[in-house]
Amino acid sequence: MDATRMKRIAAGLVSLATFLVLWKLLTVATGTPSYILPAPEVVGERAARAIGSGILWEHLWATLSEVVLGFSLGAAAAVFVGVALGKSVVIERVLSPYIVAAQAVPVLALAPLLDIWFGGGLFARVLVVALIVFFPIAIATMVGIRSADPRLREMLRSLGASPAQVTTQLEIPSALPVIFGGLRVGVTLSVIGAVVAEWAGASVGLGVLINIADQGLFDTPLMFVALAALAVIGLAFYSLVVFVERQLVHPT
Amino acid sequence: MSSRANQSALLIAVAALAVIAIVLFRPPAGAPSGSASPTGGASATASSSTAASASAEELRPVRLLLGFQPDVQFAPFYLAQQAGYFRDAGLEVTIEYSDDVLRLVADGQAELGVADATDVMIGRTSGIPIKYVATLYEHFPVALIGSPDAVPDDPSGLAGMRIGTPGRFGSSWHALVALLDAGGLTPDDVTIREYPQFNQVEGLLNGDVDLITGFLANEPLRLQAQGFETELLTVDHFAPLPGPGLVAGDGLLASDPDLVNAVASAVVQAQEEIGRDPQRGVDAAVTEVPAIGEDRATATAVLEATIDAWDPPVSGGVVRDVWDAGYQTLRRLGFIDGSVPVEDMYDLRVMGIVDPL
Repeated sequence: MDATRMKRIAAGLVSLATFLVLWKLLTVATGTPSYILPAPEVVGERAARAIGSGILWEHLWATLSEVVLGFSLGAAAAVFVGVALGKSVVIERVLSPYIVAAQAVPVLALAPLLDIWFGGGLFARVLVVALIVFFPIAIATMVGIRSADPRLREMLRSLGASPAQVTTQLEIPSALPVIFGGLRVGVTLSVIGAVVAEWAGASVGLGVLINIADQGLFDTPLMFVALAALAVIGLAFYSLVVFVERQLVHPT
Repeated sequence: MSSRANQSALLIAVAALAVIAIVLFRPPAGAPSGSASPTGGASATASSSTAASASAEELRPVRLLLGFQPDVQFAPFYLAQQAGYFRDAGLEVTIEYSDDVLRLVADGQAELGVADATDVMIGRTSGIPIKYVATLYEHFPVALIGSPDAVPDDPSGLAGMRIGTPGRFGSSWHALVALLDAGGLTPDDVTIREYPQFNQVEGLLNGDVDLITGFLANEPLRLQAQGFETELLTVDHFAPLPGPGLVAGDGLLASDPDLVNAVASAVVQAQEEIGRDPQRGVDAAVTEVPAIGEDRATATAVLEATIDAWDPPVSGGVVRDVWDAGYQTLRRLGFIDGSVPVEDMYDLRVMGIVDPL
C-alpha cells in the first residue's frame, strides 16, 4: 500500500475517532439520558444485538433493494431524458415545465399517492426513489451534453458522423464529469427517497425500523443504529459512484 | 522517506482504530452503562413549591404536551385554560403539541403530557422514567372498523382478513394484536397492510383492505360522512387495555406531586363539564383553534364520540384491573418483558384508583 493511500485511510479513521470522542464527551458533559442521546458505546452494543438477532439485516436488505432498483431506474431514465433535453431545444421546451413542476412537488406528499395507486408494493417504493434521483441527473446530463466543444462537433459532422455517432463518440464522453456530478447527488438522494417511500407504506425497511424503534419500542439507541445504517449505505454508494467515475473519466 | 511516511500514517491509523474501539464498545460487565434506569435520572424542572399554594402573582409555569396537533378531542385542556382552572391552581400552563411526549416529559422538557397507557408500559420497560398519573379515556379508543358484513362478531373470525393499520407501533397496533390474540390468532393469520400516513380510510374505501384500525372518534365518522356504513370491533370486550391519560416524569413526581395533582384535577374538572355540556367543549376548541369552527357539526360529533370513550362521570383514577389485564396481554405478546412491575408504571397518589363496578 502506498503512502498516499495509507494517509487517506488514516485521515478517515482520525476523522471518525474525533467524531466519536466528541459525541462521547457531549453525552458525558451534558449528562443527557440515553433515551434522548445515547452514548456511542450504547449504540454500538445495540447495533451488535440488532445484527445478532437478524433484525437489522432484514430491514437493511429491504432498503438496499429499493435504493439499488430505484437509483438504477431513475438514473437510466434521467440520462436518456437528459440527452434528449440536451440535444433538442424543442424537447426541452416541451418537457422542462413538467420536469421542474414534478421536482417542485415534495416527494413526501407524492409518496402516499403512489403507494395507493400502485398497491403499496416494492414497485411504488422503487418509483419514489427513481423520482427523487431523476431531476439532478437529468439536468446534469442536459448541461453536460450541451457543454461539448462545438468545434469538435462540427468536425465530426464534416467527417460524416451520424447524429448518433456524435452523441456516443463526443457528447456523452465529454459530458461524463458533469453526469457523474449528478449521479453523486442522486445516489445520496436515493437513500432519502427509500426512507420517504417506506414512511408512505411498507412493512420492512430502515425507515420502518426507525418508526418502530421511535414510536413502538421507544428504543433511541436502535434509532441511531438505523440512522447509522442509512449513512453507511449512502457513503458506500457514493464511494462506488466515485470509483466508477475515476475508472471512466480519469483512468490511470 | 516514503517508507517513513507510510509508517507514520500506519501508526496514526492504528491509534485512531484504538480510539474508535474504546469509544464504540462498552466496557466489560460491571462498568457503568450510561443508560437510564427506569427508576430515576429524570431532570425535574419543578421547584419544590406546591402549585395550589402559589399566589396569583407567582404562577408556576407548566408546559403541557398534547399529541400531534390541535384537535377538538383536547377540549378539556382548552377549557381548563380558558375557564381559569389552571390559573386558579396557581399554574401558568402552556399547551404544546408533540409526537414524542414520553421522552420529552421524562427528560423534564415538559412537566406533563398525554400518552397511551400501552406506550407508557413499553416506554417504562425500555428505561424511560415516566408514569401514568390520570386516566382520560376509560375505554380504549381504538377499534377495528369495517362494513357490517365484514366485521366478525368475535376476533377469531378475523382469520384470513386484510387489515389496514398505520404501522407496527402505537395504540392501533397494540389493539390489533391484542384482538388477534383474543381470537387465538397472530398477525401471521391475517394480511397486514400498513398506512404510515394514516390514510387507511382510503384503503378501506378502495377495497384494498377488509378492515382498518382507527380511533372511535375519527375514522368511523369520516367513513360515515362518505356514506360508508360502519361496524366496530372494540378491544374492551375481548382484550381490555387501559386508555390514554396524563403522564409525568419520575423527577417531577418526586419533587412536586401537588403540581401534577393540580393539573390533573383541573383537566378532570373540565372533562366533567364537557361531559355534561359538549357544546362548552366545542366552544373552547373553536376559541383555541378557530379552524375547528369551520365545521362545527363534525367537531360536535367528534367530541361526542370522544366523550363516549371517556365514559363520564370521570374521576381520573387509574383503572387498576384493566391495567393488570393490559399488562399481562402486552407481556404475553412480547411488547414488554415483565422486568418492570405494573405498579411502577402508574402513580396512584395523584388521582387514586377506579374500582370496577
